[in-house]
Amino acid sequence: MRKRSRTVALTLLGAAAFTVAGCREEQVDAQAFPDLASCQAAAAQGGLFTAAECNQAFAEAETLHVESAPRYDSLEVCEEQHGAGNCGSEAQQAGGSGSIFMPLLAGYLIGSMLGRATGGMAASQPMYRNAQGGFTNASGTTNFGSNAGRAQMGAQSFARPAATAGQPPMTRANAASRGGFGSSGGTRSSFGG
Amino acid sequence: MRKIQIPERPDLAEKAAEVGFTFATMHGEPYWDETSAYCFTLDQIETDLEAPATELHAMSREAVDRIVASEALMARMGIPAPHMDLIADSWARNEPEIYGRMDLAYDGTGPAKLLEYNADTPTSLYESAAFQWQWLEDQIAAGHLPQGSDQFNGIHEALVERFRDLFAPDTDIHFTAAADNPEDYATVESMAWAAREAGMGAHFSDLAALGVSADGQFLDADSRVIGTLFKLYPWEDLLADDYARHIAGSGCMFLEPAWKAVVSNKGLLPVLWQMFENHPNLLPAFFADDVAPALVDGGRPDPSVAPAFDRVGGPLRRAHVVKPIFSREGAGVTIVEDGEVTEASEARDYDRHARIVQAYHPLPEFDGFRPVIGAWIAGHDCVGIGIREDRARITQDLSRFKPHVIAA
Repeated sequence: MRKRSRTVALTLLGAAAFTVAGCREEQVDAQAFPDLASCQAAAAQGGLFTAAECNQAFAEAETLHVESAPRYDSLEVCEEQHGAGNCGSEAQQAGGSGSIFMPLLAGYLIGSMLGRATGGMAASQPMYRNAQGGFTNASGTTNFGSNAGRAQMGAQSFARPAATAGQPPMTRANAASRGGFGSSGGTRSSFGG
Repeated sequence: MRKIQIPERPDLAEKAAEVGFTFATMHGEPYWDETSAYCFTLDQIETDLEAPATELHAMSREAVDRIVASEALMARMGIPAPHMDLIADSWARNEPEIYGRMDLAYDGTGPAKLLEYNADTPTSLYESAAFQWQWLEDQIAAGHLPQGSDQFNGIHEALVERFRDLFAPDTDIHFTAAADNPEDYATVESMAWAAREAGMGAHFSDLAALGVSADGQFLDADSRVIGTLFKLYPWEDLLADDYARHIAGSGCMFLEPAWKAVVSNKGLLPVLWQMFENHPNLLPAFFADDVAPALVDGGRPDPSVAPAFDRVGGPLRRAHVVKPIFSREGAGVTIVEDGEVTEASEARDYDRHARIVQAYHPLPEFDGFRPVIGAWIAGHDCVGIGIREDRARITQDLSRFKPHVIAA
């Protein structure tokens, strides 16, 4: 009766255990722009997108902004999530209520999936300031260091955010967030033992 | 149990590099050390280590049953009041455990003694399950160990089996750790390999990248909802974090489950001693508050433990160890002999926690090194061992990992 496993061949090469063909999400080329003019300028230089694609993407991101921007029940909670001066009322931005608050549109993320964005996907995404001085997407699930530049990212970054228009706005208690685990480990560099 | 001299594999460095075992050397010292190894008889393994460790796990489960029924006991074990229900519910729902590592003192004769049970975030899984296994195969192939030599190391297979038993094929399991620590990350990766081999999807996110959605579900770094999360991050820290308030309503299954917070906690040791006094694999142990007056200035122990204390008071006064209820890798441990501190670990990160007192049971010495046996539990059974040795009496994070063999 053997006391050891029949075979154990484990390699620890970076993320080998976590990336496997068919399991890893499709990557798409993406580029962020602070405004339409910078997208047009990049198109003139022969960038990822044409001027027509810029226009289409910006229109789509603005529609998503109206439909799906995070909505808060007070200016205070909105500014906690997006930083002081980065929020406005729904009435100003989307023709809705004066007592619901949304972050101001602070950039556009465009994926190289224009023309094949279907169903649950969108070719572009509105970007907002986050509380850390960077940028975030409508669902608050991805953070970006900047609202300009190219990167490869998972296609999931272009999932259509859930509609928030007409939904109850978020209170402080249920504002979506990130990074709430890990702080109690303090200065320890290792959590195991 | 003997220490045997055996040549190091000539291509050890290449082999370690090839599999990505980047911390085979740490702090300029070899961490993985195969210039010698420990050799056991099959009987030592099965009778003295495997069966007792399996039994100790069953006893620990009985102890959980008692602990979660008592808020006073949970408070003593450092569980924050708002989260006591989370722990009790996790036990009541019979949430499954995957793994743990018991540290045992054993010299080849007599009963092994439980020093502590790291049942929440044990590391050294890769060294134990994989690298040590490969060492044995290579040394048999090289003729340095006889054909028929074996190793108590069914760890990887048992973990695969465990995932298969618990989850339907293709279940997505998310893994998290502090990605910048190679030891922690290697343990998580080893676990992910086992999950993958069992047919599961394995996805890694750095601990700090986890998020929570507006409706209270946890999200991975790619914003996918997390249904099952293996976290190499201790419950006592999880419960102190901002996101602790979201755990109960998240619909997320945590591995290890929340009830491990009262197992991977040195407060378990006095509870075990109270329930199973004189069990051959236990050392006498008490909460420090109950016995400090009796140990330090000739006072009396708390009446609740006085009879039990009086039965072991003599040896305990002669030599005992003080340990914080939450600590790892020897941090915060002090050895007291005849009223004098004779050894104390330097790392004091855990000094803010409550403490326990345990009878001092010296580790055996082999060629100037003191080995501690890590008995790995998968599910409910002991499935292998990994040995770490240290020159100091308190095994710390600079200890060396030593391979072992069961003599043919």
